Amino acid sequence: MSWLDRDHTIAPPGFNRWLIPPAALAVHLCIGQAYATSVYKTALVEHFDVSLTQIGFIFSIAIVMLGLSAAIMGTWVDRSGPRKAMFVAALFWSSGFLIGSMGIFSSQLWLVYLGYGVIGGIGLGIGYISPVSTLIKWFPDRPGLATGMAIMGFGGGALIASPVSTALMAFYDPNSGVEGWVASGDAVAKLFLTLAVIYLAYMMFGAFTIKVPAADWKPAGFDASKVKVKSLVTSNNVSAANSIKTKQFWLVWIVLFCNVTAGIGILEQAAPMIQDFFRQPDGTSLVTAVVAGGFVGLLSIANMGGRFVWSSTSDVTGRKRIYMVYLGVGTVAYVLLALLGSSTTALYVVLAFIIISFYGGGFATVPAYLRDLFGTFQVGAIHGRLLTAWSAAGIAGPLIVNGFLDAQGTPGELTAQAYQPALLTMAALLVVGFIANLMVKPVSDRFHESVVVRPEDLELAGDRK
Amino acid sequence: MTKARIAIVWALVGVPLAYGIFMTLTRVTALFGG
Repeated sequence: MSWLDRDHTIAPPGFNRWLIPPAALAVHLCIGQAYATSVYKTALVEHFDVSLTQIGFIFSIAIVMLGLSAAIMGTWVDRSGPRKAMFVAALFWSSGFLIGSMGIFSSQLWLVYLGYGVIGGIGLGIGYISPVSTLIKWFPDRPGLATGMAIMGFGGGALIASPVSTALMAFYDPNSGVEGWVASGDAVAKLFLTLAVIYLAYMMFGAFTIKVPAADWKPAGFDASKVKVKSLVTSNNVSAANSIKTKQFWLVWIVLFCNVTAGIGILEQAAPMIQDFFRQPDGTSLVTAVVAGGFVGLLSIANMGGRFVWSSTSDVTGRKRIYMVYLGVGTVAYVLLALLGSSTTALYVVLAFIIISFYGGGFATVPAYLRDLFGTFQVGAIHGRLLTAWSAAGIAGPLIVNGFLDAQGTPGELTAQAYQPALLTMAALLVVGFIANLMVKPVSDRFHESVVVRPEDLELAGDRK
Repeated sequence: MTKARIAIVWALVGVPLAYGIFMTLTRVTALFGG
């Protein structure tokens, strides 16, 4: 496996860095499928004859494994380099689908938990962080743009997987033309097999396209000394092990946790929520199920677009300021949504669009924020550890929202007032995140690596550890 | 040669992404009465 090592992936002179973002995108577009699981949820419920919660557990396991594997494997990813990490991520992600398909063919739900949830989830975690530090090293002048392009793929992956999966299930199921059709388990299993092959090929394309910059490489006209001009941007480096001993790491952890939890609050209930907000006294809603589906699609665009647009903007504004916008303007948007959202659908849609674009932006900007605070030395590993905030938010978000809504009734049969406690709680959470972000200051010198690692020496430093 | 390679590599990710965005936007039109 040494041919996959970092040493074998150093770019030759003249290598064009614009080949790197598509390599990273190839991986993120594949693992972004995780957000398209809803297209076969009902089919799996019928096939296994279990509850929706039991099927939803597959996705929950995958997200928890994403956070755990990113945290545990982050240092290995930084040490081994992006090609080996992407290669391994491709094997895990693809194997997850293969084992999951066996579970569906044999009607063994535990095999789907093990395959898609555990093994696929490990592929998710390694795949998510694998290109991040490499992109930051290739784009020291625009790290927000670089990570935004890659992490945008995670949002975009679901946009591709959703229609492709629906079309493939229809192709594999002879009953697909029947009214009220729900795909058979056999069709879902065949879909999993197909996705295993497609994703393996695509992620391998990414793995064999990506390269790391040479030790002495820097972009034409780039002056590393200018990076120091912004107060929070360090030219020093902090190891992953030391980063978790700093106040800054945990403040950014809280920032990410609050931002993601608040976003999940809307994403979780997007379709029934918009219908409930415009429910009439006779119990019907002004928003039909089809229109609600269109609203969910719009949120997907906001999620993906926010990752690219806001993260790129952070290169100009600075990371701390852009998070003040995500959390500060996000709080105002949440309060307006709770109190005035039911006045017009246009206002509701605009506010939800803004909130979800900030949710995506928060994900995409955080690697560059970590680079600013801790340097590029082990930013991939630090990012991996930080993603435990995502796992925690994945549990806390639905718990908070469902906890409030369960006390009010059933989503899809509620009114706008029933959502106010949940939405105002999310706004309060964003205030907590805003305060945490305000408290972020440069990392103390005592956590810096003793040897100063210049941006152009990063690969040597990576080898040294 | 490099430009052609960049174009191909970007197309490999850009075309599926454009397809996904297009398919999503067709669904979004329902929101605006389309």
